[in-house]
Amino acid sequence: MNTETTTPGDSGVERRSGSEPGHRSPGSERPRGTGRYRTLVLAQVKKRLLLMYRYPVNTLSNLAVTFVLFGMVFFGGRAVAGQALTDSLGGIIVGYFLWSMATGAFSGLAWSVTRESQWGTLEQLYMSPFGYGRVMLSGIAVSVVESFAWGGAVLAFMLAITGESIHVPVGTVVVLTVFAIAPAVGIGFCFGGLALVYKRVENVFNITQFVLLGLVAAPSVDAVWVRLLPISQGSYLLTRSMQEGLRLWELPVAELALLAGTAVVYFGLGYATFQLLGRRARKQGLMGHY
Amino acid sequence: MTTTPEQVPAGAAAVEERGESADDGESTADGEFRDDTGPALSVRNLTKTFGEGESAVRAVDGVSLDVAPGTVVGVLGPNGAGKTTLIKSILGLIIADSGDVEVAGIDVYDDPRSAYGRVGAMLEGARNIYWKLTVRENLEFFAAVGGESPDALSERHDALLEQLSLTEKADTPVNELSRGQKQKASLACALARNVEVAFLDEPTLGLDVESSVDLRTEIRRLADQEDMTIVLSSHDMDVVQEVCDRVVIVSDGKVVADDSVADLVDVFRTFAYRIVVGPSAERGGDGDGALDDDLTTNLDDDARKRLRESYGAEAFESRGDRTAFEVALGDPGRFYDLMDDLRAADCTVHEVESVDPDLEEVFLELTGREESAPASEATTSDRVAHADEGDQS
Repeated sequence: MNTETTTPGDSGVERRSGSEPGHRSPGSERPRGTGRYRTLVLAQVKKRLLLMYRYPVNTLSNLAVTFVLFGMVFFGGRAVAGQALTDSLGGIIVGYFLWSMATGAFSGLAWSVTRESQWGTLEQLYMSPFGYGRVMLSGIAVSVVESFAWGGAVLAFMLAITGESIHVPVGTVVVLTVFAIAPAVGIGFCFGGLALVYKRVENVFNITQFVLLGLVAAPSVDAVWVRLLPISQGSYLLTRSMQEGLRLWELPVAELALLAGTAVVYFGLGYATFQLLGRRARKQGLMGHY
Repeated sequence: MTTTPEQVPAGAAAVEERGESADDGESTADGEFRDDTGPALSVRNLTKTFGEGESAVRAVDGVSLDVAPGTVVGVLGPNGAGKTTLIKSILGLIIADSGDVEVAGIDVYDDPRSAYGRVGAMLEGARNIYWKLTVRENLEFFAAVGGESPDALSERHDALLEQLSLTEKADTPVNELSRGQKQKASLACALARNVEVAFLDEPTLGLDVESSVDLRTEIRRLADQEDMTIVLSSHDMDVVQEVCDRVVIVSDGKVVADDSVADLVDVFRTFAYRIVVGPSAERGGDGDGALDDDLTTNLDDDARKRLRESYGAEAFESRGDRTAFEVALGDPGRFYDLMDDLRAADCTVHEVESVDPDLEEVFLELTGREESAPASEATTSDRVAHADEGDQS
């Protein structure tokens, strides 16, 4: 028992009445329409760049691992396979370029969910008026652009150390790559959803990177059905474009339709799975846990 | 003895008394007309059960409450009472089994995106911001994620930083801040854009006195000057007693009390007094406290017995020629009867001290449990998740 009754008004906290004119002006600062999305994407770009800058070891080691891995494939392969490797070098370069980008897009999303969960910021993002899915999509858009930047650097590095030359019709490569890695993004969404519910699934992420490698290499298997698998059709068309110098309009329509179809289906399935697992996480009260 | 939402008209009255309830509606960010006469937050029969069968835990059990604009509501409850689950269920971060939640008239479950446009939340303490970004970069990011232009809000951000004494740390990465500064930065980010309702889960947890006072001051200012509705959970009774207009006490997922702090304490007021008596001057009491052989039983056994039986007196304690005891009278009119009886027993009343309950005692009375260290708190969903999936740590 204490001997004093404290009421809120008697407390040490000063209470003031009235309001500060102009301090709060609901809605006046809120961008509308596409402006809102531009603001969101720019914020994601800025955050990504700042985090890359503030985690320099992580950023540089990621790039270094990609370079070193290719160096090992190239120099090790040449020592073991000699001419055989040289004959298929163009395909290896394109495949490695695509794999590094697909891995970047996949892991960018899957790891993003895990990290945000670890950091405790996941629920803040969930409560965005844009909707969590759109916030994640904007993050992925940034991640894909980032993948292109790294992919370009890796490509230049590979061409420099191999002395190989390939065609890079930029517009075609960008379009094909976006469709090619869309299924990887779908897989990323799927694993992001799993991370929401089961939390520690990092080991599966690592294994999946090797699965992606198999999918990138899959078109070399002489079976049409293989190209229904994620990424495979994109890998096939990208290789043709970059090795034969084919432009988008020079590729068969049916092949492009298959590429677009697999991209939409796998991306859609992944996104739906993410939403489903996100709902499950919320139902079980696991959204903010790690 | 408990009060229920039905019994108590709740905190709306407190806000009306301050005359801060706007009668006129206002246009919202989306150009909609918002009716400010309605509650800022309305919860109806919210229920959430984790698990099934015998292991099922009802974390939120039919909670209903209306919160008027500009009110600060404190949610109190023992560990595992369902405070965090309640707040997260209100926000839709945990999907409730049944019930309705509206923020500014918008159903959180039917239209979460619109509702989130009006809500800010600080749920993980200092953890809900990016520690590798500076305070200002965090503010800008969360303003943008909230759909507002960071550039247009720079003045608001400056004001927030100043009010939270963070101006000098605006360009410092969060991981280089002290714990109190991190916590304040986290609060700033929850308020980085214009919101009507803010949810703060343990906002003062682990803060030093100065930081805690800064935060309390800011919370009160937001409610008083910006008409912001704030729902906060805290283990710190002082914070709740000092800052909140209204207290909701939760136990086993149920609201067991919902009222203003003063009214809650009033409900439990027992008109309790600690009274010190001594012998009257006629009986030779010299008032110096020295032991007087004739008066060693200055309040003799008969008198004590009579006081026990008539007034429930207890805790008798004699020192020198004085005796102290406590009574809880229930009816204030009985106080005068007691005084008359003491005089009739030739006693002089030297001291009367009113002993009122504080919020902590009200809380303990209602929940029958001791508040324990918040660091060990686990929400019900935590416990169920761990039971379902093993240790996630």
